[in-house]
Amino acid sequence: MIRFEHVGLRYGIGPEVLSDISFALEPGSFHFLTGSSGAGKTSLLTLIYLGRRPTRGLITMFGQNINGLSRAELAPIRQRIGVVFQDFRLLNHMSAFDNVALPLRIQGKAESEIRNNVQELLEWVGLGDHMHVLPNTMSGGQQQRVAIARAVITRPRLLLADEPTGNLDSEIGFRLMNLFEQLNRMGTTILIATHDQTMIERFEHNKLVLDHGGLRVEEPKHWLSKKIDGVF
Amino acid sequence: MQNPFARERSLGVSRTRRRYDLPLNKAGGTGFLTLLIGLMTFLALLALSASFVLSAMTDRWSSGLENRVTIEIPAENEAGKILSSEETKKTGLKIESLLTSHPAVLRTHIMTDEEIRELVKPWLGENLMLGKIPLPGLISAELQEMTPETIQILEKKIKAIHKTARIDTHEEWLGDLLRFTGALQFAAFILALVIGLATITAVAGAVRSHMAVYHAEVELLHLMGAHDSYISRQFQRHSLSLAFQGGLCGVAIGGLCLLIIGWISGEMGVSLLPDFRMGYLQLGVLATLPVFMALISALAARQTVLKVLRKMP
Ligand SMILES: Nc1ncnc2c1ncn2[C@@H]1O[C@H](COP(=O)(O)OP(=O)(O)OP(=O)(O)O)[C@@H](O)[C@H]1O
Ligand SMILES: [Mg+2]
Repeated sequence: MIRFEHVGLRYGIGPEVLSDISFALEPGSFHFLTGSSGAGKTSLLTLIYLGRRPTRGLITMFGQNINGLSRAELAPIRQRIGVVFQDFRLLNHMSAFDNVALPLRIQGKAESEIRNNVQELLEWVGLGDHMHVLPNTMSGGQQQRVAIARAVITRPRLLLADEPTGNLDSEIGFRLMNLFEQLNRMGTTILIATHDQTMIERFEHNKLVLDHGGLRVEEPKHWLSKKIDGVF
Repeated sequence: MQNPFARERSLGVSRTRRRYDLPLNKAGGTGFLTLLIGLMTFLALLALSASFVLSAMTDRWSSGLENRVTIEIPAENEAGKILSSEETKKTGLKIESLLTSHPAVLRTHIMTDEEIRELVKPWLGENLMLGKIPLPGLISAELQEMTPETIQILEKKIKAIHKTARIDTHEEWLGDLLRFTGALQFAAFILALVIGLATITAVAGAVRSHMAVYHAEVELLHLMGAHDSYISRQFQRHSLSLAFQGGLCGVAIGGLCLLIIGWISGEMGVSLLPDFRMGYLQLGVLATLPVFMALISALAARQTVLKVLRKMP
């Protein structure tokens, strides 16, 4: 589904934030992306949601080499990706409802369909009473849930989330992780950047670890030890 | 069961109203742009009206004179002796019969003293004792086709009858007049062009600054997979509506000015010039100015947005 081959990224004339990254995400997989602060998690996600072009290397998305695609051809690819930004990026002049409805409107969905889906999802994330509230009057956790709802409303093929549970209490955090798992079971590929070790340990998924510009894949410890137990 | 939209209605949120994804209508500078476009429309209206009036003038002046000549019989002969009006009339009749016998001449008309007085009135004033001034004889003639040869032949024959009589083909002053009004019309055209360009530049500048202010929002739409046309439509609609509003104000105020100008010139009895009422077609063109302004503004906005968006990955 996604393949990076020897991808490098630098901002301007600065040092390479990512150097020689190679990995592949299989359809329907669930990965955590970890690494210390400033390791380049957000930068890597930016490359995946096509917010930037890499300085070098080859990126294949949904079977298409994105280097060979025109601007117009990138738009439909972006529509298949849901993103929860680290800083949410909600539009403060429109209500939570309209924020969540925005991706559907961009995709030209019917207003009746939009109304039902958005209402249902906002109720599900516990914001049924805040549909017509402007985001900048909401708490950090509420804003985060709006951002998550906006990312998943289109049932994207790929969901990227940058610290999605950072501002949430563990109760709501686990509920949202369950939402992600549910989406994953319905076929959405998921990549979540997080520092949250309890989350990583509780949900056993493969880890992509960013370290000094490089990337390595780690299988969950739990799972690994079980496998070893089984073999020996 | 409760109507699922009841809550939305009670909150006063209409779901059918066209909304902007970007808060453009709250952006600063909107009022300024509307005002500017209003002024531009006002100027364009005046320039166009002037150009219409000029073209009506030239039409009226030249249409009556095409293929027409005037034969002038001066009130004095070559020796400088004043002719009596009877003598002038006799010469006039002689020349007229000569003209009517010529195959190239379609129609002739000897102007009566009344008509001549009417003609010179604006120049000499009514109060002059016109009856005492010897009037020249004037014969207007309509030719089948005005060629230099015909004119030459006719002139020769007329001179044989009366030495100082001459044919006036109106070419000279008509040519001057047409050149003059042509230059004025060209100036009006250039003015309209400049107004159009200024409007486009102002709209493009405003759109550029809006895109800078809402860069994060625009980028977000882009990252969600919005096509360039989806984003540009937001700016287009906004520019269209405010240019239309500005245009309407400009046309309203400009129309009022034209009415006042018309009223003042009527009051002052500027009857020297014929009455230049604009036709329905021309009024129609003026009335569509706001639409035209709205369209060029929308187009300018679209081009600007597309150009800026092309810099995004
Ligand atoms: N827009 C940018 N321009 C220049 N440098 C940048 C930009 N974005 C990130 N960087 C640099 O790239 C490096 C990686 O940043 P990035 O935001 O990807 O890290 P991160 O792993 O997401 O960190 P955190 O866990 O704190 O969110 C940092 O050194 C940062 O200074
Ligand atoms: Mg980050």
